[in-house]
Amino acid sequence: MNFLIVLFGKLFSKLIIFSNLGGGATWPGHIALNMNPVFIKETLENSRTKIILIAGTNGKTTTSKLIQHIFEKNGKTTLHNSSGANLLNGIASALILNSNFFGKVNKDFAILEVDENTLPLALRQLTPDFLVLLNLFRDQLDRYGEVNTIASNWKKSIEKLPKKTTLILNANDPVIAFLKGNGRSLYFGLNERSNLSQTEDWADSVFCPGCNSRLEFTKVYFSHMGEYLCRKCGFKTPKLDQSKPYFPLSGNYNKYNTLAAVLATETAGIKEDSINTALKSFNPAFGRQEQIKVNGKKVQIFLSKNPTGFNESLRTVKNAKSVLFALNDRIPDGRDVSWIWDLDFESYANSFRSTIVTGDRTYDLALRLRYALFKKFDPVENLQQAIKKALNITKNGETLYILPTYSAMLEIRKILTGKKIL
Amino acid sequence: MKLIIGWLYPQLMSTYGDKGNILVLKKRCKWRGLDVQILNLNEGFKTGDLNKCDLLFMGGAQDRQQKIVSGDLRKKARALSELIEQGIPGLYICGAYQFLGKYYKEADGTIIKGLGIFDLYTENPGENIERLIGNIIIDSQFGKLIGFENHGGRTYLGKNIEPLGKVQRGFGNNGKDGFEGAIYKNSIGSYFHGPILPKNPKLADHLIKLALEKKYNSPIKLVPLENSIEEKARKTIAKRLNVNL
Repeated sequence: MNFLIVLFGKLFSKLIIFSNLGGGATWPGHIALNMNPVFIKETLENSRTKIILIAGTNGKTTTSKLIQHIFEKNGKTTLHNSSGANLLNGIASALILNSNFFGKVNKDFAILEVDENTLPLALRQLTPDFLVLLNLFRDQLDRYGEVNTIASNWKKSIEKLPKKTTLILNANDPVIAFLKGNGRSLYFGLNERSNLSQTEDWADSVFCPGCNSRLEFTKVYFSHMGEYLCRKCGFKTPKLDQSKPYFPLSGNYNKYNTLAAVLATETAGIKEDSINTALKSFNPAFGRQEQIKVNGKKVQIFLSKNPTGFNESLRTVKNAKSVLFALNDRIPDGRDVSWIWDLDFESYANSFRSTIVTGDRTYDLALRLRYALFKKFDPVENLQQAIKKALNITKNGETLYILPTYSAMLEIRKILTGKKIL
Repeated sequence: MKLIIGWLYPQLMSTYGDKGNILVLKKRCKWRGLDVQILNLNEGFKTGDLNKCDLLFMGGAQDRQQKIVSGDLRKKARALSELIEQGIPGLYICGAYQFLGKYYKEADGTIIKGLGIFDLYTENPGENIERLIGNIIIDSQFGKLIGFENHGGRTYLGKNIEPLGKVQRGFGNNGKDGFEGAIYKNSIGSYFHGPILPKNPKLADHLIKLALEKKYNSPIKLVPLENSIEEKARKTIAKRLNVNL
């Protein structure tokens, strides 16, 4: 049965790519799961591949790419469900493309990123050797629901994991650090001076996940990420299990992604020196701080799809001269744009020489900037024209920084590079 | 002239960009040269602080936060009820709107008592029944109100309360009777977030005007403000949902 699935899956995927219908990242898996709902389970049980599962609101793709890069630079073979194909069908597709006709995956490591809602479903199908949990922030409430709901679903399925699964957890996110499996738990986190004195107003997890009391934060890096203590039940930031690596990407955000990738690969047996060497040659995933040259001008894209991500991007580009914000409200972006009111635009009202806003919800974003007292901003509804205008305003030698939501990022990239990616 | 705006539980009840409502009230006062102060009423606040407020706002929250708030607010229920009865204007969104009603019935039948100030009740039909999510447009005395809704609970109004408006597109209180939100005296309850006030400046100005008139006990005429970006943002959604503004 699985032989046929793999055969047809591979052919089908080639056909999709050949006929330019897309990247073939989800359809073969979709069909496979319809034919055999336990396809993922059977294929992975049949293989010697070690499984690394990655979940969290922000940083899944960057962390996966980092892990993949570190492994490959150290002679390991990997597979990764790329390009945001992070539902079960995406995982099944990745397995099809990377297995032989005996239904065996022929790679050393399967690096699988999963959507917040998919994690419990994925854990029913596969037992990861390493489960990397990055963070939980409010994101697309219309699609994912509330942070506490996701956290409690995660907790239930993680408690059932066998001893062989090692948890790699973010010590600075209380909800993540609180999770427990039946095997080892290792913790990554920042250990530096904090840049905020208290959790941000809209931070999600400021209560003890154990007893619901308010947590006391002694350090805050951003949102609710920091060092904390519960005076009532004693729950606090766990001790960190790691050394300070080389950071190939800017922003606190990416420090966490790097720390997670380093702890995971180190635990999987790669030596510290070799990890650092690999990190020095890392190139970011598309749309994640990726640099593109257009007519001699530099453009850098910072995918910014939820309050925490967007705020961190703003913090990273605060010295920019020229910025473009793009807000779409399609399904991958979340149809609800109320989160823009949680963003800290107020701190950047006088930061940029030129600010252009665009996307499906151009005027919602413009309205937000009006209330943040931005002195000058230009709403340009058409994305192509907005980019053109932003590039014209950007002087030679300057960088245009673009902060788009997910679907806007894909479109912008298509316009800038003239290529299709998915 | 000066307004004191009481923001009930800013840390606990602000899941859906509710901060935007406060920002809009504050700036629209400032742009008109009015003095304005935001009084944050966090858990454990003194009941007496409520009486300092000329206008109240409370937003929605996740379940865990809502539990903490309900414990705290129950202790101040009488003071809040008196203010609302006296006609202190207020805006209560989502969880706050539900909480002012008689009760909230959870999917498993558990009844959580509300403050009983608004003649309404809310029922959650269960996790397997779809939440009411999407862009929404209603007809109201403040013109067409445009926003986004996302709620599992279905709210039903009693006889002693008026709806905020009639649903043109979207679901509203319960997805059945065609009404959205509620008005009681000068208090407004609604499922709109998005947040509600930025794209509905008429409603924002109505609340400011009421608060000033109540405080200074004389008719007030607000200086008009420029609303062109607001109009364009409204048009984007109206056009998409095929509604004429």
